[in-house]
Amino acid sequence: MAITFKKDRAVFVDTVSGDDAENLLEWLHKYPKGKIDLTACTHLHPANLQVLMAAKRPVVLRPKDTLLAEWISSAIKLV
Amino acid sequence: MNPLLEQFLSESREALQNIAEKLMQLEKEPTSVDLVTELFRFVHTLKGNSGLFELPELTRVIHAGEDLMDAVRSGRVAYSSILADRLLDAMDFIGILCDEIESHERIDARHGSDSVRLAEALRQLIVSTPPETAPALPSEVAATANETEKISLPLELIPETARLAAYRSALQGNILHWLAYRPVEDCFFQGDDPFYQSRQTPGILWVSIAARSELPKLADLDPYNCLLDFTILSCAPREELDEYYRYLREQIHLTALQPHALIIPQGDPNGGPVYEDFVADALLLLQTGNSEGLVRAARSMLELSNPDLWFSSALRWLLLVIECEPANHAAQEVILTSLRTLTPLVWENPAAPATIAAPAPVVATVTETTALTPATTVAQEMPPEIMAIVAVQRDILTMPLDVNWSGRCKGAVAALSGCLRAFGAAAAVAGLEQALQDSLADKSAEPLLEWLDNFFAASAAQPQTEQTEATDPLQSAALQEVQTDAPVTTTAQADADVKFGRRTEDNFSGPKSIKVDQTKIDRLMNLIGEMVVAKNALPYLAGRAENVYGVRDLSREIKSQYAVINRIAEEMQDSIMQVRMMPVSFVFQRFPRLVRDTSNKLGKEVRLVLEGEDTEADKNIIESLGEPLVHIVRNSLDHGLEMPEVRRALGKPTVGTLTIRASQESDRVVIEIRDDGKGIDPEVIKHKAYEKGVISEEQLERISDQEAVNLVFAAGFSTAEVISDLSGRGVGMDVVRTAVEKVNGTIRLESEKGKGTCISISLPLSMAVSNVMIIESNNQIFGVPMESVVETVRIPRSDIRSIKKSQTTVLRNRIVPLKPLNTMLGIAAPQKANEEDKLAVLIANVFGEHVGILVDDFHETVDIILKPMTGVLAGLSAYSGSALLGDGSVLMVLDIKEII
Repeated sequence: MAITFKKDRAVFVDTVSGDDAENLLEWLHKYPKGKIDLTACTHLHPANLQVLMAAKRPVVLRPKDTLLAEWISSAIKLV
Repeated sequence: MNPLLEQFLSESREALQNIAEKLMQLEKEPTSVDLVTELFRFVHTLKGNSGLFELPELTRVIHAGEDLMDAVRSGRVAYSSILADRLLDAMDFIGILCDEIESHERIDARHGSDSVRLAEALRQLIVSTPPETAPALPSEVAATANETEKISLPLELIPETARLAAYRSALQGNILHWLAYRPVEDCFFQGDDPFYQSRQTPGILWVSIAARSELPKLADLDPYNCLLDFTILSCAPREELDEYYRYLREQIHLTALQPHALIIPQGDPNGGPVYEDFVADALLLLQTGNSEGLVRAARSMLELSNPDLWFSSALRWLLLVIECEPANHAAQEVILTSLRTLTPLVWENPAAPATIAAPAPVVATVTETTALTPATTVAQEMPPEIMAIVAVQRDILTMPLDVNWSGRCKGAVAALSGCLRAFGAAAAVAGLEQALQDSLADKSAEPLLEWLDNFFAASAAQPQTEQTEATDPLQSAALQEVQTDAPVTTTAQADADVKFGRRTEDNFSGPKSIKVDQTKIDRLMNLIGEMVVAKNALPYLAGRAENVYGVRDLSREIKSQYAVINRIAEEMQDSIMQVRMMPVSFVFQRFPRLVRDTSNKLGKEVRLVLEGEDTEADKNIIESLGEPLVHIVRNSLDHGLEMPEVRRALGKPTVGTLTIRASQESDRVVIEIRDDGKGIDPEVIKHKAYEKGVISEEQLERISDQEAVNLVFAAGFSTAEVISDLSGRGVGMDVVRTAVEKVNGTIRLESEKGKGTCISISLPLSMAVSNVMIIESNNQIFGVPMESVVETVRIPRSDIRSIKKSQTTVLRNRIVPLKPLNTMLGIAAPQKANEEDKLAVLIANVFGEHVGILVDDFHETVDIILKPMTGVLAGLSAYSGSALLGDGSVLMVLDIKEII
């Protein structure tokens, strides 16, 4: 599964591959106020992570996967 | 072992030897462009071959070697003896890896760091040349990055919970590693997921991800340019980490952690009450050994305090240390002391208090520690191994003066200065050199011994304390640089370079395969063949001992010896056959290309199926197969398979299938070439054959369909209307048959009109020794190849009927024509019958039909080496050859097909 892009949020589900990073970047440009929802995410490719870090957008919903949440918390702010 | 890998190993060994040879030659004429080009070619081939396998350690070193040789070839780097040394070292290393692959079929990950170092040493030579030719190689970048990281490890970044867990795990016997992983920038394009790689690290305790530098603005960001660094804390053993990161060895930097370095209390230092009383009480409890009381006091204090306070954090550490290391009072005391002052922990080092009294986390490599200490105290820091080396040198120096004395002195000094440099006391080397000069001048070892005594006096006085220092974890530097990763400083380069050189006299392991000229093998095979024949003389001898000389015991002994020799000879024969065996893939490998090209030219669509490529047969047999198979395949493509539109009209798949299958049936190899084309029309063949005069009009009427189809093997036959450049010159199948029969093979063709054709070739596995049956006729003996013998029977004279002039008999309800051998050989005498008036009949298989040959008597079967008829005898087609028998007589072997 990949990222589902909506107007107000981008929903990450399961394992998100690197192919989505470009779309994510585009979406962030288009919807600067959109939220990032990692709730159902179990792993994301670092290309995506890099985009999220560069976006400096703290509105990220914490993944249910506690390990993932812990690992990425050093890189991005989770709510 | 996989045959490809086997071949790689033997080729690599050869290449390594060639490289070493060329390097030696290059040493003599360093400007030779030819030699450099040749050298580059060897290295390049070796690299290309290694890329086929998953051998990152090996490929990494060869790749570096190739880059270096390329630079030398293009004149960017000049040849030097350092270059030759490093390249030879690298090749020795590869030799070691090859040995390991051979014995274990894989490379142990522990070679990873050696591999990286060798590769870097080679690359350094490229970089250290003029600036315009110094591209920053990724590994170089990583290397320099590693250097800077070594200065301090930001351990305080690790959350306290992870650190507590790591500490606990370390005290259970695990070794902690701080792993800095810097993926290369284009790693995403290589399909890597560094985050996943990090998450799966064995023994992972904690991961942190950070941008390498300030990330660009979102608008300028290239999401696929990796700018992230990963930091991992793991409790897995080093070997496991090496194995896991074996492909990324250049991108990671490993540092072993002392567990106490993790004790970093964190939190708000202010806002708490003064804890003087608690600390005083606790210290007292600790001194009296009342750890239970201490735990209780610490717990209640922790409950009263705000958990976010620095103080609380320190208490948690204290409790953990008490729990895990109840006996380590020193550590507990350090924590308590820092509680009093609310300052970071200070790990005291009684051995050198001045140098290591730095605030925690204490970060110091071994080299740094010793570099800071004055030279006179260096000896105290040296581990026992070094002291042992020093003691040996001292012994050498005190040996009596003789011819080799000065050389020995120099050797001892070289060893000592190596030790000194390795421990950062390079400054002391000058003093040592001076002492050496004095010694040589005085022709006495005194100055050197004096220097040694002065330098190492302190250590000799207190070896006991050194032991205890080494075992106390608190006193050594808080962090120890992993030894093998120690940076190679340029001054100490010559000594620090790890040598992989193997002297030829020790542990030489030669290649496991050898290339031998085929004539040598042939000679060996002939000799073994002679041996097989010669052993056949023993039964004759045994017979003579018994019958002529009447010594039955001797005869029995000869027979038992014969059994032994027979067994050995058979094994020898078997082994030499194995040597000569080759897989049929040797012939098959040319077909995919042939079929592709031919079918393209003809505009046909063909799918080639190869089966049983690993079936083995004698080299000669395999080689003789090449030509006939090409003919057959061309015929099938040209005449057999139809054009796609024709096939479609017939309801067949447009793509025709050509199957070449090899299989082994007892002692023969059977090759089957089958196509699903239009097959052969027996009527067309009959008329063609008649037109070309291959058969007479009479035969045209009588011939069966199966016989007609096999007419394609007759000389001068071609059905193709137009002679193309592919086939149709009327020699094809005739040549095929002759070639196959030359190696005692048989060929059979089956075809069904409209369905396809199948040609099967049956060949002997080997042709060295043939088995023949001996028959007697008119008091002479002849051999008949066993493959044409179906059975031997005795038939009463009364059962033989005459039809016109031919004799026949009925055997198991089948009419078998009988031919007297004497008649066929032009001997006037009639065949003899035995005392019961029964005639000996050898039923032979000739072109698939049974023929009875009347002979006088049957004898045993023997293994012989068939020698073809040569010279004037070559024209006698009745015999396929002759052979020597054990008693020295000559056996003529009949060619049944010719005489019938």
